[in-house]
Amino acid sequence: MFAQLIQDPAKINYVENPAKPPEIDAWGQLPKLASTFDHVDGLFYFTYIVCIFFFVVILGALLFSVVKYRRKTWDQPAASNVTHNTPLEVVWTIVPLIIVMIMFAWGFKGCMDMTVVPEAASRNTYKATAKQWNWTFTYPNHATPSFNEVWIEVNKPVQFLCESTDVLHAFFIPVMRVKRDIVPGRFQSVWFHPIEIGEFHLFCAEYCGDDHSRMYAKVHVVSAEEFATAPWDKWDDTTPALAAKSGESLYKNLCQTCHSVNGTPAVGPTWKGLFTKQGDTFVGRQREVIEGGAKKTITVDEAYITESVRKPDQKKVAESPYDKNNMTAFPDLDERRIKGLIEYMKSLAAAQ
Amino acid sequence: MSHDGHHSIVIPAPGPEFVPHTVAHHFDSPVQEFQSMKLGFWLFLATEILLFGGLFAAYFYFHEAFPETFRVGGAQLDWRLGAVNTTVLLVSSWTMAMGVRCAQTSQKQKTLMFCALTLVGAVAFMVIKFFEYKAKNDHGLVVFSELFSGYNEATGQLAWFKDYDGVMANVPHGHMFFAIYLTMTAIHGLHVVIGAGLIIWIMKGTAKGRFHAGYYLPVDLVGLYWHLVDLIWIFLFPLLYLVP
Amino acid sequence: MSTNVPVIDAHPTISEPPKNYLNCSRGFMSWAGTLDHKRIGIMYLIGVSAAFLAGGVFALLVRLHLWEPHGMLFTNETYNQIFTLHGAFMVFIFVIPAIPGSLGNMVLPLMLGAKDVALPRLNLLSFYLWCGGTLLATLAIVLGGFDTGWTFYAPYSLYTDQAVVSIGLGIFLLGFSSIFTGLNFIVTTHKLRAPGLTWFRMPLFVWAIYATAILQVLATPVLGITVLLVAFERLYNIGIFDPRLGGDPVLFEHFFWFYSHPAVYIMVLPAFGIISELVTVHSRKPLFGYKLMAFSALAIAIISFLVWGHHMFTSGQSTFAMFAFSFLTFFVAIPTAIKEFSWVATIWKGSIALNSPMLYTLAFLIIFAIGGLTGVILGALNVDLHLHDTYFVVAHFHYVMMGSIALAFFAGLHHWWPKMFGIMYDETLAKIACALIFIGFNATFIPQFIMGSQGMPRRYATYVPEFEGYHHASTIGAVILGSGVALMVYYLLASLLIRKPAMQNQWGGVTLDWLTPTPPPLENFATPPSVTTEVYDYSTLDYESLRTPVR
Ligand code: HEA
Ligand code: HEA
Ligand code: HEC
Ligand code: CUA
Ligand SMILES: [Cu+2]
Repeated sequence: MFAQLIQDPAKINYVENPAKPPEIDAWGQLPKLASTFDHVDGLFYFTYIVCIFFFVVILGALLFSVVKYRRKTWDQPAASNVTHNTPLEVVWTIVPLIIVMIMFAWGFKGCMDMTVVPEAASRNTYKATAKQWNWTFTYPNHATPSFNEVWIEVNKPVQFLCESTDVLHAFFIPVMRVKRDIVPGRFQSVWFHPIEIGEFHLFCAEYCGDDHSRMYAKVHVVSAEEFATAPWDKWDDTTPALAAKSGESLYKNLCQTCHSVNGTPAVGPTWKGLFTKQGDTFVGRQREVIEGGAKKTITVDEAYITESVRKPDQKKVAESPYDKNNMTAFPDLDERRIKGLIEYMKSLAAAQ
Repeated sequence: MSHDGHHSIVIPAPGPEFVPHTVAHHFDSPVQEFQSMKLGFWLFLATEILLFGGLFAAYFYFHEAFPETFRVGGAQLDWRLGAVNTTVLLVSSWTMAMGVRCAQTSQKQKTLMFCALTLVGAVAFMVIKFFEYKAKNDHGLVVFSELFSGYNEATGQLAWFKDYDGVMANVPHGHMFFAIYLTMTAIHGLHVVIGAGLIIWIMKGTAKGRFHAGYYLPVDLVGLYWHLVDLIWIFLFPLLYLVP
Repeated sequence: MSTNVPVIDAHPTISEPPKNYLNCSRGFMSWAGTLDHKRIGIMYLIGVSAAFLAGGVFALLVRLHLWEPHGMLFTNETYNQIFTLHGAFMVFIFVIPAIPGSLGNMVLPLMLGAKDVALPRLNLLSFYLWCGGTLLATLAIVLGGFDTGWTFYAPYSLYTDQAVVSIGLGIFLLGFSSIFTGLNFIVTTHKLRAPGLTWFRMPLFVWAIYATAILQVLATPVLGITVLLVAFERLYNIGIFDPRLGGDPVLFEHFFWFYSHPAVYIMVLPAFGIISELVTVHSRKPLFGYKLMAFSALAIAIISFLVWGHHMFTSGQSTFAMFAFSFLTFFVAIPTAIKEFSWVATIWKGSIALNSPMLYTLAFLIIFAIGGLTGVILGALNVDLHLHDTYFVVAHFHYVMMGSIALAFFAGLHHWWPKMFGIMYDETLAKIACALIFIGFNATFIPQFIMGSQGMPRRYATYVPEFEGYHHASTIGAVILGSGVALMVYYLLASLLIRKPAMQNQWGGVTLDWLTPTPPPLENFATPPSVTTEVYDYSTLDYESLRTPVR
């Protein structure tokens, strides 16, 4: 019973290839800001200093009292019996009041900047679709989407319209200081103005189930020239070997969470043995599936795999426990990518 | 309670058919006991109101979100049955109040009679409720036998909401009104049942002569509870049957 | 009216100890069926301490798992179950009932000069409801666990294939346990005060428990209905939280936080009460600003109903809601600031005894300042948009819940231990344990502030490698903290065997709880008390009672 609680080294699910760690800013606390939302940092450090100030005052008063007024004999009475000091009480009510009102006003102003989407950003609107446990990004003027990685142009305000197809998620880019919960059934919008080139983390910050911590995307902020080449749309399939290589990287991004390639069972069936190499041709394995309630045996081929990706519920693998697990559908994956994935599956067979 | 020698305060019985009441040992006087219990009970009633408050909040939220659903849904309820039930509860509240009054004046037989009448009201209410539920069941608006059979994601079908006549076909999320209707009236109905149980318990005590002018606190408290049950219905009735 | 015949103990034998609530009757049923508030308090004490240790073991598992970026021990799913269990046990089973249930039950009637709480039967019922709730929560583990986080956010909690109904009903019972405790304390405070004990002569612990009780009675029913609705969602899809059926997950968040924000003050106000008592007794000086302290407890209770939205700043609320919730959040800080400063002012120029309860109190004052002030940082709208659901929040609430409330609970436990049992624990070990806990605690959670502000999200079974160093520090801290707790458990239990007698008035308190014999007799006072002096008047202190050992 306990065995299944313990992590199996072969099935570790974690972010394999995250972005480089962000630099820490000069004050040593926050990751270096890469957008224009500097009110967050300003207010954060302001409150930070206020905290340290009060902390030092309180600590100082306590230490001083404890040293100076420590009870030396067991029946020593207090040095003073004062119970009130109205001026002092007024001061320590008014001063914190003033301080928190500053914080409130500052915070509200900063928040308004972050929630009111400027015209320029709404003209550069991406769509981010969150589902358990991956991200799909659709670009403003480009048909090909990208998965778990997104490219944006530096110095150009951008808006993300976020949508969830299942449970709550949250869109969180620490260096941009943005976070927004993604509520199924609503569109939530986030905007920011990136000003640094680099690769950054995008985390899912709202708990969404088993692989919540794996729900990671890499944000590439690139120059306008590089952006114009649509780096996410580079799909090298000039030779079957290159297509397999592209397929492999897509596999790592999208499918690895649920499918292994070495035979270990996971959420979905392993891809090992989907194809076997016989001479020069690849032969698909026999597979029992359930389609519309009826069981039948089919041979795995390209059509079946395409269907498995786009409409996974159409033919469900009949083998336990996969018959009870559901696969996320990827209707947006185009032919070339699916072809690449298939080349990759076949390359697995070739390697045997 | 008179361990370690503390003598307890005893309230004498007003007559041979009654039994005296012993004040609990930790109270200094009968007044203190009475007031403590009463305050405690009022606080309990406050929690009950807040519990229903959550349901009312949900009601208003979705009424705001899907006004059409609530209008059409409300029209499916029979406001006449609701009105009868409201009357039944109002009358039973009056009989309960009379029961309390009679307990305060040590009129044992009359207390029993009024409690019995209140009980009749409770039963009548539940019977009418039963027929209302049955009607909903027959129209597939709340299919009780399928209540726990779940939701089919592929077809978008809720097992317990069949809507045979298609009355809710043109409004968004037609089940929503009935889900709230069912939840609110079922929890209220549960309170009616509990209240009836309490009344039976009171009647037993009365028959034994435990309640009289010197000590009628439990009757008083059950009376309060019954008024609360009534009060909640007074809010439920217009919201569910009339507002739409 | 009847006459009170005084009990005359004609020949008190020197060798036989006087009758007290502990030795007046024996046997399992004399405890399990007891209506005595002190015995119920002891049963609660055992229960909540066990819950704390269980929650602490889950915490240690969490910390060990996070030693490595890809997680060291569990599958992701198991990890999620463990932190959920940790949160749910600590919040619902430990920290909410802890102080009112154990110390409140024990001390409140004593402080009021009452023979018992007003409704002893209800008191026992609320203890058994607590047991029932705990049992259902434990059952949920057996039924396959639950991995929703302690917040049960819909719709995940509606879809996840685990024992959510069982834990939901468990929380429903725990909620009613809490309501009944609160109700009982309100009535007791109103109706059972000793003659002469006016409202403004009540010790602040009573004020704090009273303010807490108001919150318990008024906020908890909403939690009750919320978990019921979640259970209904799972049983028959009523659909009000389920977006597939037209429901709204954000409505769930409103429902949940409408309770759970006041709940954090349900947890912290009793802790404030303990600290208020302890600073005056161990400084032997009247509490600074007594009335303001009492009013600020009530003010906190009232304002806390209006700030729940600060947990939902990122959920896409309307601008007006953001504005109002943030504004009010800052307002809570003011009465709390008054309290913090008044405690410090009480200690100032006192006669400060550095015994173990006082050390815990000083630790509280330092840690709570950090915990509260980081709460204020989170109340700032735009900063929260960055920090929400990161380890910064985790560190904030551990500073207030573990570092402040649990420490205040320990402080109160050490303070009233001699009163409850008539025996003393080993003070040297107590001081060592306190130091270990203080150091270990800060070592655990300071790194979490840092990694949180750098963007480490919470509820992560695995994480990106740059946070590894902070997680190492945090785990090491937790082990130090755990050893401190283990040491505390050890010497407290050992004191029950060693039975070193305490003094009649171990610390020199002047409230009624210290004026009755130690340990208190069955109905608390040998002669009905009456109060003639102002509260915390140390000129009335009978120094002899500090040196008279308990027989
Ligand atoms: C007992 C527990 C407790 C207490 C007392 C508090 C106290 C406070 N909390 Fe905390 N909080 C939690 C438990 C608690 N909190 C929990 C459990 C969560 C997370 C839940 C979850 O998501 O799982 C949380 C989360 C939380 C959030 C949401 C964060 C997020 O998820 O994004 C916020 C935001 O406003 C917040 C604010 C505050 C504030 C302003 C106070 C104030 O009451 C603090 C007041 C205290 C002081 C201010 C310090 C003392 C005063 C001085 C030293 C004087 C100087 C003061 C000034 C200059 C102001 N808390
Ligand atoms: C009162 C509340 C409380 C308390 C006291 C604690 C105490 C601790 N918590 Fe707790 N924690 C929460 C409430 C609390 N927590 C909540 C509400 C959450 C959020 C859950 C969620 O996200 O849903 C949380 C989440 C949480 C996380 C984040 C998990 C995540 O987001 O992924 C972490 C990680 O470090 C953590 C660690 C700790 C540690 C190290 C302690 C330590 O202070 C514990 C110290 C105690 C011990 C170490 C026990 C010692 C025991 C022994 C030595 C054994 C003796 C045994 C016997 C005698 C049988 N907690
Ligand atoms: C959420 C987990 C999950 C993810 C992510 C996922 N799958 Fe699956 N997959 C499953 C499950 C579960 C099954 C078996 C049940 C079924 O057939 O629907 C499955 C079945 C399949 C099958 C049929 C396998 C067989 O042995 O017959 C193929 C092919 C497949 N997936 C391809 C993919 C590809 C390609 C991707 C990535 C683009 C992917 N899957 C991502 C869970 C997942
Ligand atoms: Cu998606 Cu967390
Ligand atoms: Cu809060």
